Amino acid sequence: MKAKLLAYTPAAPLMKASGVLDWRSLLPHLGYTFAVEKISRACSHQLVRHRAASFSQQSQRYITVKRLSERVVTPPSVETAGADEFNKLVEEVSEAYQRLVEQGVPKEDARFILPNATETSLLMTMDGRSLLHFFGLRCCNRAQWEIRALADRMLEEARAAEPDVFNEAGPYCYQLGYCPEGRFTCGRMQEALDMYRP
Amino acid sequence: MRITLVAHTPDVEVMVAASMLTTTSGAQPSTLHERLQANPEKVREVVGRLEVQHGNVLEHNRLIWVLEATRDEVMDVMLDTRYLTFTKLDRNRWIMSGNLRAVAEYAHKKDTEFTGKLVESLKEVAPTIHQYIRRGVK
Repeated sequence: MKAKLLAYTPAAPLMKASGVLDWRSLLPHLGYTFAVEKISRACSHQLVRHRAASFSQQSQRYITVKRLSERVVTPPSVETAGADEFNKLVEEVSEAYQRLVEQGVPKEDARFILPNATETSLLMTMDGRSLLHFFGLRCCNRAQWEIRALADRMLEEARAAEPDVFNEAGPYCYQLGYCPEGRFTCGRMQEALDMYRP
Repeated sequence: MRITLVAHTPDVEVMVAASMLTTTSGAQPSTLHERLQANPEKVREVVGRLEVQHGNVLEHNRLIWVLEATRDEVMDVMLDTRYLTFTKLDRNRWIMSGNLRAVAEYAHKKDTEFTGKLVESLKEVAPTIHQYIRRGVK
């Protein structure tokens, strides 16, 4: 998995041009574009639920999935238990996909048998306010492991580019000073605060 | 209404081209972006094929203007397009932002003095797309 901040609109020149002294009120106007690479389709399905964002994703209609076994994301839990079962099925699907394509089935139809584990890459653009919300939800201990790892890498990139804006970003407990998860709280807020403090 | 482009995503058309190629190429988006940054000719060629692409390739950017306008004038713009974002600075001064898709669709929908100025503000930052939008303005 890789996340790289390709481009963004810096806050400082906009603050100067507009005379606005607080970057928080400019957040909806700031844009951040990331290359998100080699995540699973399961993860990209979660990403696109963030509707206030723009996505351009590798299309399985146009790109043939060659050697599926080298292009799947394997969850850590599967690596410790169930790896044989997982790998066997991936191999079978890989062969079946290739056979379908060779028999003349269009890629857009052959892809119907590909698993959620299939790797994908995409461009994602969010405004600053949506990105803070994304970090609030997806850096949380309760987020699923893959999108959480992705959110952490994106946060690293964002902090390196705009520390004044994103040093305050992280899971909602870090942003708000309390956990908004109610009875679902992980109970490890202090750990999260220590982890996300720059 | 007076409009001044005050900030924008750098290399807007490089990102449009990277976005167009991401959907159909097996190369990674960051690799495509890096290659395109070093090849302005390729960027012009790819972006020149824009009409056959989905509109979402125009969304990977942010353009920010300072707008001098009355509240009624801003309200008219807001009623015409919901994809531009506004913050009030003082009585007749606003920050307005959006992406190229918002500008293109708004300009295609309304041919007014204001949309003309909006499109002209793209001339330097996205010259190929500026031409594309101008051709489409009725």
